[in-house]
Amino acid sequence: MIAPRYIPVVFKQVWRHRTRSMLTIAGVTVAMFLFIAVQALQKGVHDATSITAADQTLVVYRENRFCPATSRLPERYLERIVRVPGVAEVIPMKVVVNNCRAALDVITYRGVPAEDLTLLGRRWVVTAGSLENWKGRADAAIVGEHLAARRGFKVGESFDSSGVTVNIAAIIRSDEPQDQNVAYVHLPFLQQAAAGGGVGVVTQFSVKVADPTRLEQVGKAIDDEFRTESEPTTTRSEKAFVAQAGQDIVEIVGFTRLLGWGCLAAVLALVANAIVLSVQDRIKEHAVLQTLGFGSGLIARLIIAEGVVIGLIGGVLGAALAVGVVGYGRFSISAEGLSVNVSASPRVILTGLAIAAGVGILAGLAPAWQAGRREIAQCFRAV
Amino acid sequence: MALIECRSLTKAYKRGSGTITPLHELDLDVESGDFLALMGPSGSGKTTLLNLIAGIDRPTGGELCIDGADIATLSRSRLADWRSENIGYIFQLYNLVPVLTAYENVELPLLLHRMPGRERHERVRTALRLVGIADRHDHYPRQLSGGQEQRVAIARAIVTDPRIIVADEPTGDLDAESATAIMQLLTRLNRELNKTLIMVTHDAKCAGYARRALHLEKGRLVEPGRIGSEAEQEAAA
Ligand SMILES: Nc1ncnc2c1ncn2[C@@H]1O[C@H](COP(=O)(O)OP(=O)(O)OP(=O)(O)O)[C@@H](O)[C@H]1O
Ligand SMILES: [Mg+2]
Repeated sequence: MIAPRYIPVVFKQVWRHRTRSMLTIAGVTVAMFLFIAVQALQKGVHDATSITAADQTLVVYRENRFCPATSRLPERYLERIVRVPGVAEVIPMKVVVNNCRAALDVITYRGVPAEDLTLLGRRWVVTAGSLENWKGRADAAIVGEHLAARRGFKVGESFDSSGVTVNIAAIIRSDEPQDQNVAYVHLPFLQQAAAGGGVGVVTQFSVKVADPTRLEQVGKAIDDEFRTESEPTTTRSEKAFVAQAGQDIVEIVGFTRLLGWGCLAAVLALVANAIVLSVQDRIKEHAVLQTLGFGSGLIARLIIAEGVVIGLIGGVLGAALAVGVVGYGRFSISAEGLSVNVSASPRVILTGLAIAAGVGILAGLAPAWQAGRREIAQCFRAV
Repeated sequence: MALIECRSLTKAYKRGSGTITPLHELDLDVESGDFLALMGPSGSGKTTLLNLIAGIDRPTGGELCIDGADIATLSRSRLADWRSENIGYIFQLYNLVPVLTAYENVELPLLLHRMPGRERHERVRTALRLVGIADRHDHYPRQLSGGQEQRVAIARAIVTDPRIIVADEPTGDLDAESATAIMQLLTRLNRELNKTLIMVTHDAKCAGYARRALHLEKGRLVEPGRIGSEAEQEAAA
């Protein structure tokens, strides 16, 4: 856009009105922080709810129930689900949450049979402790990395939630957004320790199908199997299940999109205001530059570069703030025992920075065009 | 052929129903290496003429040829390039960029030219030395006296080595001592570096440094015999 030799001049101009530039940059920082946080939220929802071709997990839930506290299915359905054609694996699961509504800091227990651990363990990386520890102890828990970081949990410690006290055997990392935020415990232990349900009752079944392209057909076959029972089922893909059960979150997050656009508009207005003011102060100076032989186009690009500098500095600070807050806080929004992870991925940040630079260009466009267009001789008389 | 040729050069402004004509069908030749002082009462069109020659304003009539080029017909961006190569402009109020040091102000016009950093540095140094202000290269305009600021402005005007230097009351804001020093410097530019100078001044003493002086009144050049007649009449009245 401009040759490197002009860059010091651009920075000196931005630095000229220190207070004004600082205030503008502070405003841009806050707005870009919000924008990137909103983007991270959007990305979390997207990751948790959009089905990819490789997805092969179904969730069998009690028909018309959406909260783990009310979805109750007999554990003995297991043998019948296994026999449905196309089903590869089935894991019965009891889910207990300390807060059924949408909240930021929810602890979710998932009770699973010890023999199914190898199935689940395939997608995990153990970052502390060991899975063997878990098998040997009735009240042991395997905790997702996000949950552990959020609450500061360490292997060997105990914690209590929903009236159930467990001991941490291992901490795991997983590509599955849900794994990151739950504590896996022994199914019989949870059935006894937690209120509601009791022995022989689970919340849901997690089903792996053999052929991902037949996900829907298999789900329908399972529901047909139990249609006439007193406890009928609804089976959906895991992602669709999250999307539906966490509808509140999805809708709220959808609304924050507007918030994101609002932030960008604020950035635009802030930077444009700063540039317009500084260009108005310098009408005569630009006439001097033109007298020296600077063309209208070059002057316009120098002014636009000032907008980009302000936008980018604010963008970098805002992104750093977002990485700090989101990374340190490990936020996840949970509802009905399902969670959406908020993470500022490099891609979200780079997009944010590109947008900040773009908005800087946009903000400088009108004043830059005007400045290059003025009659030089008139500018000298106009003071 | 003269370096600067003005033929029936006219500048007029429409003002409501009437027109104001700061320059009226002016004929003027300036040879290469000349040092011309332009004098005349306020509002007589001196700055207007200077701006036309410097290519920062456009005539509304007549012809203006400089070094064989009809600059009135150049496009806006070609005219900017032309200025950068041919014109050094010295203002009454210096017009340095306040956020840049003396060095950076002088460097500014050189940024338009592609050249190695070392050469640019050398040229800025030479220009600053020539105007006798090399020791103040890292000072900002607000840290310099008026006379020193004008020296920096002169260095900025000559650093690209233009053929023509125009100056609009370059000593108008300076005390007598600084004014003399600036005039001696301009004279050197003319005598030693062979620059063609056109200078507007109100001061007869300054005009004395020039090779010749011309008088403008109401947008026209007046005969040497009638010089100052109006001003004298006004003073007598
Ligand atoms: N944009 C404009 N519109 C109308 N009239 C103008 C405009 N610009 C300049 N003039 C007029 O042109 C005339 C000549 O102005 P100019 O600045 O050339 O005078 P000058 O000889 O330089 O005067 P001074 O000694 O005061 O600097 C003045 O009467 C001025 O009012
Ligand atoms: Mg004037």
